Amino acid sequence: MGVDIRGLRIAIGGQEIVHGVDLTVGDGERVGLIGSSGSGKSMIARAMLGLLPPDVAVSGSISLGGTEVVGASDRTLAGLRGRYTGMVFQNPGASLNPVLSVGKQIELPLRLHYDLARAERVDRVRAMLDKVGLPPDVEGKHPHELSGGQLQRVGIATALITSPRLIVADEPTTALDSITQRQIVDLLVSLVDGAGASMLFITHDFSVLARATTRCVVLDEGSVVETGETAALLAGPQDERTERLVRAARALTLHTAWPDATRDASAAASAQVSARECDEAEVRA
Amino acid sequence: MNDANGYAAVVLRSMWRRASGRFPLMVIGLWVLVSVVSLFWTPRPLMQTDGYHTWQAPSAEHWLGTDGTGADVFSWLMAGSRTNLIIVILTVLVAAALGLLFVAAMVSRHTVLAGASVVVVDALISIPTVLIALVLAVPLGASVAVIVIACGFGYGLNLARVARPQALLVARSAYVESAMADGASGAYVLFRHIVPNILPVMLVQLSLSAGTAVLAESGLTYLGVGVPSGTPSWGHSLATTVRFISVYPLTVLWPGLVVTVVVVALNLFGDALRDAIDPVTNPALRQGTGVSGKEDGHGR
Amino acid sequence: MRFVLRRLLLFVVALLAISVAVFAMLRILPGDVAAVMAGVNSPPERVAQLRAELGLDRPLPVQYLDWCGALVRGDFGTSMLTGRSITTQVGARAAVTFPLIILGLVIAMLIGIPLGCAAALARGRRSRAIYRLVSIIGGAIPALWGGMLLILLFGRGVGLLGVLPSQGFPTSGWGTPGAALASLALPALSVGVIVGASLMRYTRSALGEFVASGYIEMAMSCGMTRTQAVLHVGLRLAMPQMVSVVGLTFAEMITGVMVIENLFALPGLGTGLVTDVGNRDLIAVQGELFMLAAFFLLIGLVVDLAHRALDPRLKASADGNEVSA
Repeated sequence: MGVDIRGLRIAIGGQEIVHGVDLTVGDGERVGLIGSSGSGKSMIARAMLGLLPPDVAVSGSISLGGTEVVGASDRTLAGLRGRYTGMVFQNPGASLNPVLSVGKQIELPLRLHYDLARAERVDRVRAMLDKVGLPPDVEGKHPHELSGGQLQRVGIATALITSPRLIVADEPTTALDSITQRQIVDLLVSLVDGAGASMLFITHDFSVLARATTRCVVLDEGSVVETGETAALLAGPQDERTERLVRAARALTLHTAWPDATRDASAAASAQVSARECDEAEVRA
Repeated sequence: MNDANGYAAVVLRSMWRRASGRFPLMVIGLWVLVSVVSLFWTPRPLMQTDGYHTWQAPSAEHWLGTDGTGADVFSWLMAGSRTNLIIVILTVLVAAALGLLFVAAMVSRHTVLAGASVVVVDALISIPTVLIALVLAVPLGASVAVIVIACGFGYGLNLARVARPQALLVARSAYVESAMADGASGAYVLFRHIVPNILPVMLVQLSLSAGTAVLAESGLTYLGVGVPSGTPSWGHSLATTVRFISVYPLTVLWPGLVVTVVVVALNLFGDALRDAIDPVTNPALRQGTGVSGKEDGHGR
Repeated sequence: MRFVLRRLLLFVVALLAISVAVFAMLRILPGDVAAVMAGVNSPPERVAQLRAELGLDRPLPVQYLDWCGALVRGDFGTSMLTGRSITTQVGARAAVTFPLIILGLVIAMLIGIPLGCAAALARGRRSRAIYRLVSIIGGAIPALWGGMLLILLFGRGVGLLGVLPSQGFPTSGWGTPGAALASLALPALSVGVIVGASLMRYTRSALGEFVASGYIEMAMSCGMTRTQAVLHVGLRLAMPQMVSVVGLTFAEMITGVMVIENLFALPGLGTGLVTDVGNRDLIAVQGELFMLAAFFLLIGLVVDLAHRALDPRLKASADGNEVSA
């Protein structure tokens, strides 16, 4: 399902955070949205699905496969969410309902949108668990009994259980260690491609971006500064701000890879290390 | 001292600037003013009763009418405000002192003392203050002391429970550890480091307790263990007239209204205070000067 | 299971502690109990006789153990004033007070929880301010006054609507359940309104923590509307916290309950306690205080167990340290 965003503005308490953003995702395309924290990228993701709190002012146009989202009622949007769209959150530990078992959590979109027999729902949940690489006994467990990587697999399973046409992934790997990050990205990409769905992938991590997306949009302080093929953009950023972001994102990637080294004087120097070297370092760590 | 005054001025000014803070400040100011004035002047002498003019409607002579003994309702409410003010001040002081004592015990370095006091506070907190008041009333009879001790004790426990997490954070912080290593006494640490840090929490909790104390006064006085008969207080005015609400609703309206307005004001005061002393919601505190007492706490 | 056992043990220990506290408070306080009970102007012989009658001349530990032993047998002693067994007296009074408390709490929940949810979901500054004011004013009304206003509105004979009894309790007690329930309706409503206001405040703040949380976003992303998500997910997640709060509210309730009992002339523990304190009937006071305190401890126990059962994170964790701490 394609996305067409035109002139999107988002303001909180009279202060504009997103200033007229244009963004498109083609059918079956994987697009990245990258920017430093506070650039408004998560806001855009939430605005697309109508998840922003009611006191946030959204204007412009967001079209999801022809349905206008801005100004639509919560009821209409709830009919889209979980059926035609799925969302993967940054921190599954703080978003998966702690009182629901994994099975109940994954089948929630099915229950809300489809009138299926219980046995059929269970079958689908089990098939989905297998697809995301979780053992069957996870079904009856609660979120607090799982690891971070397992939790994110549950999040992905929940987002994909209804075979939605659009996946919005909001920094799905940020809370994970580097090896798990790669597995999760690969899983997400294979599932999305397998289903022929579109994906908007939000991140500040360039090494992940290259794996997850073919095209990307760079956001800085609420405005789009550059759009292009991911590979080309990484190799030679045209905009000065993009270049700064690429550098900053690399430094940030290193920081997450070596959390203990953040206060180290060498942090500035390690920002110069190339993306490839940093990948290798992560694997060793 | 100057800095503390400056801090208080900044906080009060930011409370005054908002309507939700101005109203309670005005009510409390009026309360204090009326209490002081009532010491020297009331429209009618308190003890002047008049068997021929009971349950009078409001008039030029009796602004809020008269009660069942023919006494002037307005004068009694005026005089009652000073009794209630004294009760609230004493209760808050007792609660603050006991609360600090409990906090000191709960964050103390003696693990046995700390553990035991946490359990004791948890157990005692579930005993309603009214039961303590009733027990105290057996030897003491109806008196202001019963209200002050029972409420002060109960609110002190609440205060200790609310303030404990913050106090524990300070008591286990690196700078307190090093101060202790340098030979600082427990009392020094308590008043130099812990109190400045839990002061905001304490003030908010105490202003809420002040509201509860006003309510408790009316309840306990009605139950016959609070303010003794013949001493003016809002609870006394309410208790002596409330039975007649269906016959003389207007007379009963006033004391109930006074209590409700004052308790609302004290609650709003607590909320406004919370906003005014929180650097997140009050930009005036963020500009950084004058808050010397708090700098200790922000070290880590 | 270990948690349940530990919690039960704590309950028993607390019960013991309460019995010591009640006993000690009435003994340590200034004034000779026998002299107090005999009255101000009674001759010394009478005081001595009373002291012997009550067994007050024996050592304190013996007195305490004696009292405990009697308590275990369900014997609260004999009232000095009426000469009747306190056990039957306390039992009859508890049959009024405990239903009143529970009914009041149910009404409080029916008022407080929906209003709290509405307040948490409220959009716009104005409606939020109104909800806040409603809860503050509701919590600031003296129980005495609020109860009287209700009598004025609904009380039979005096009230505007004149439908419900506003004084006393049927002598046949729960033998006539309809009449008994009717006479508890207005008192319970009074208690419910007062407690409901604070419950509303707690509900709003407990829910408020979750309204902007990832849990709500997750539920919405699965296809719930915001309102559905707050009511299904938010309320469920806030429930353990709210159950704890209800437990604390209970202790706050008792002042209001006592005032209301007096106001509505209900022969409950509150009225009894006040009368007995006034009459210096210490044996009765001792028994009634213990009974009330034990009831509150029991509520605390139920609340903690419910809290535990509602939160799978606590239920599943191997040891329950964090709960009792």
